[in-house]
Amino acid sequence: MQRLLAIAWLTWKAALRFRLFIVVAALLLLSVIGLPLLLKDDGTARGFTQILLTYTLSTITGLLGLSTLWLSCGTLARDIEDCQMQVVAVKPVARWQIWLGKWLGIMSLNAVLLALSGISVYGLLLWRANKLPPGEQAILRNEVLVARGSAKERSYDKEIQDETSRRLRERLEKNPISTADFKEVEKQIREQVKADLQVVPPGYSRPWQIELGIAKNWLHARPLQVRLKFNAADRSTSGTFYGIVRVGVPQKTKLYQSDTLSLAPDTFHEIPIPPDLYDDQGILTVTFLNPNNTALLFTLDEGMEVLYPEGGFGLNFARGIGVIFCWMGLLAAIGLAAATFLSFPVAAFFAMGILVLVSSSNLLASTIEEGGLGNYNAEKGGHTNTPVDWLVIPVFKGALNLINLAKEFSPIDNLSTGRSIPWSQLGRAFAQVVLLLGGIFALGGVFIFSRRELATAQGTH
Amino acid sequence: MPAVLTALDNARTAAPNPGAETVISVRGLTKVFKDFWGRPKARAVDGVEFEVRRGEVFGLLGPNGSGKSTTVKLLLGLLYPTKGHIEVFGHSPRHVATKARIGYLPEESYLYRYLNSRETLDFFGNLFELRKDQRNTRAEQLLDMVGLNQTRTRAVGEFSKGMQRRIGLAQALINDPDLVILDEPTSGLDPIGCREVKDLILALARRGKTVILSSHLLSDVEDVCDRVVIYYGGKIQAMGPLKELLAKPDAIRITTPALPRETMERVLALIKHDVSEDKVRVDTPTQNLESYFLDVVQRARLAAEQTSGATSGAKVAAYLRGDELAKPSGDRILERLAAPQPSAPILSTPTAAPEPTIDEQKLQSLSAPQPAPAPQSSTPAKTQDPVELEKANEKLASLLKPKGD
Repeated sequence: MQRLLAIAWLTWKAALRFRLFIVVAALLLLSVIGLPLLLKDDGTARGFTQILLTYTLSTITGLLGLSTLWLSCGTLARDIEDCQMQVVAVKPVARWQIWLGKWLGIMSLNAVLLALSGISVYGLLLWRANKLPPGEQAILRNEVLVARGSAKERSYDKEIQDETSRRLRERLEKNPISTADFKEVEKQIREQVKADLQVVPPGYSRPWQIELGIAKNWLHARPLQVRLKFNAADRSTSGTFYGIVRVGVPQKTKLYQSDTLSLAPDTFHEIPIPPDLYDDQGILTVTFLNPNNTALLFTLDEGMEVLYPEGGFGLNFARGIGVIFCWMGLLAAIGLAAATFLSFPVAAFFAMGILVLVSSSNLLASTIEEGGLGNYNAEKGGHTNTPVDWLVIPVFKGALNLINLAKEFSPIDNLSTGRSIPWSQLGRAFAQVVLLLGGIFALGGVFIFSRRELATAQGTH
Repeated sequence: MPAVLTALDNARTAAPNPGAETVISVRGLTKVFKDFWGRPKARAVDGVEFEVRRGEVFGLLGPNGSGKSTTVKLLLGLLYPTKGHIEVFGHSPRHVATKARIGYLPEESYLYRYLNSRETLDFFGNLFELRKDQRNTRAEQLLDMVGLNQTRTRAVGEFSKGMQRRIGLAQALINDPDLVILDEPTSGLDPIGCREVKDLILALARRGKTVILSSHLLSDVEDVCDRVVIYYGGKIQAMGPLKELLAKPDAIRITTPALPRETMERVLALIKHDVSEDKVRVDTPTQNLESYFLDVVQRARLAAEQTSGATSGAKVAAYLRGDELAKPSGDRILERLAAPQPSAPILSTPTAAPEPTIDEQKLQSLSAPQPAPAPQSSTPAKTQDPVELEKANEKLASLLKPKGD
């Protein structure tokens, strides 16, 4: 442990002596204080707070991410290039200890910088909130500066699969199709089945039965919010569509019905509802009435959900910062792994390349969905497969699965919308992002570093 | 000063014990550097074999690019052999625990430029898992020893080359190593620093430490090494105890105080009876430049000249001296001077080519009574005189005493 700490301490010394710490800390504080002056919001305290949280936390993540990559590539690659590593490696310290010590040093630096900027953002938010009128403060407390849990309708995956299979069988009995077209037909049928569950036709309503689970025990007399988002089949002249939200079941629970609401498509809407509208089993029934002349589509994953208070904002904010910290752990591992076998500039370029790959995961997903790299064949109605697809598609699938392990967390979005980030999510982030993904890079990095001949580098000073 | 040289020159008289523990064993060692595509680029070390035993000062000698530093890096596990086998304390050079017994000074200052001297030693002390009090004590003693106790808060990157060598040497000794590997240790050091390093090597060897010295400076190797290997083109060209390698058993040298002309003529006549005139050389012994330089510096120091660089350390760190050397420095010097030495007049083999003729004029001047030369030459016979011994001791003690004490 003494050796690990000594190497971690060295990273601190370098960051302080080269003024990296001061510069990054100043930039972070500048962004926290300066950004609110530049931001334009919708004029409400809620809107301003949401934008403030989103922008400041995004900037902090970006800045810290870049400095983490830079530092992690530099601290190891430079030590090897400048031959300092030769003096360290002949001491009784294993190569994995050197690698881990460097990682710990970077992460302790990140912890301090993240805590510093996080506390600044939190303090700024509370300070501004306290200056608002009481009504605005109440809205903020209920919708933004809060940790809200989320409940959604149960999954319909099994029903969708069963119905898809049934319809496919019927189709095959009536009209046999070639094996090549089988997947495409199945995909189309599946979309049809899903649409039946998602679409609210004109003049119709669609109920969602949302189970609150154990949360019902502490939600007595507490207001909830219905959060919905839809897409429309046609455009509206005004740009919005009407809708009525009804909550509860007649003769079974209390009832609530909203006024006719004017709602924009493809946008999240939060509608406050009174407390205690769920039944004895904790099931809340939400019905949406579509009075428009066009069908509205509520996607299964984010079309309708109920938000309920779950905890305080402070701890939630800390957990959100914790998830960002986990991301930094992964970036540090990527940078250090690259630095074990590449020179500093190439390692930095390599690490940035990985980030670009992560950011283009949608492209990977669409390639996988299309089944290959080939172009769309209009005559056959599918994609032309190329010989490299058998290699590319499994690689893309693997890469996408790994990328999704890190991308499935969205602490900034959660915090800005007042959504809860439970401890379990933070734990999962640590396990998936730091232990699993970071571990993969760490193992690769340590493996290469342990086998590298350190004295082949010539001193550069 | 010359007395010190005499002591130094004679400090390594005993041959290493052949039954002693084998510290390093190298068999069939070959290192071929390859390019990106795996094609051989250079054969830096080629079929090298040697053993180093405990307590030896072992020299790797050779011109630049002969494979010395590559061998050192192979011994340290910084490079991996293409062929052959290396054992250090019975383990592979990559065995982590074994490294706790090794100290290494690289050929350049590969230290962290943003750390100061004190932080550098503390950092490396931590890598050896030394306790805080141990680190503090050793760092103080080492800084004192290498003469950097006045520059402890300056970043290493601001140091001159010589000062960087000094702090490099200090870090190599922070763990009180059993095996010290020094790659060009005197490179960039002033003559005082060179002398101190050589004294240190001898002090370490006296404590049973094994020292490997890689250098192309012949005088360094000659002054301290028991055995050497001489490299050229990656291969060992010669190997053995230094005295055996340098000995010329077919010649002798006689050194005496100045003699009257008649005596000289009688002696020469006697010699000429057996040896032809062109094979006899008569001259005045001179001290070497190192001794003369050290004497000048010592006189300047006594005149209280100031320096902004490294001071003379000279005092070997107490934990490196061990029990034997924990005695007062004056005692140690006396011990050195009183140690068995070749009897005076010295009978030794000439290292320079013999001059062909005897210059009558020179003979005349040599036979005439002369005042003692200043600075004093190393006349071994005088070391037997207790008064002279005391004088030499005082002079040495004052030289070894850190400035400002």
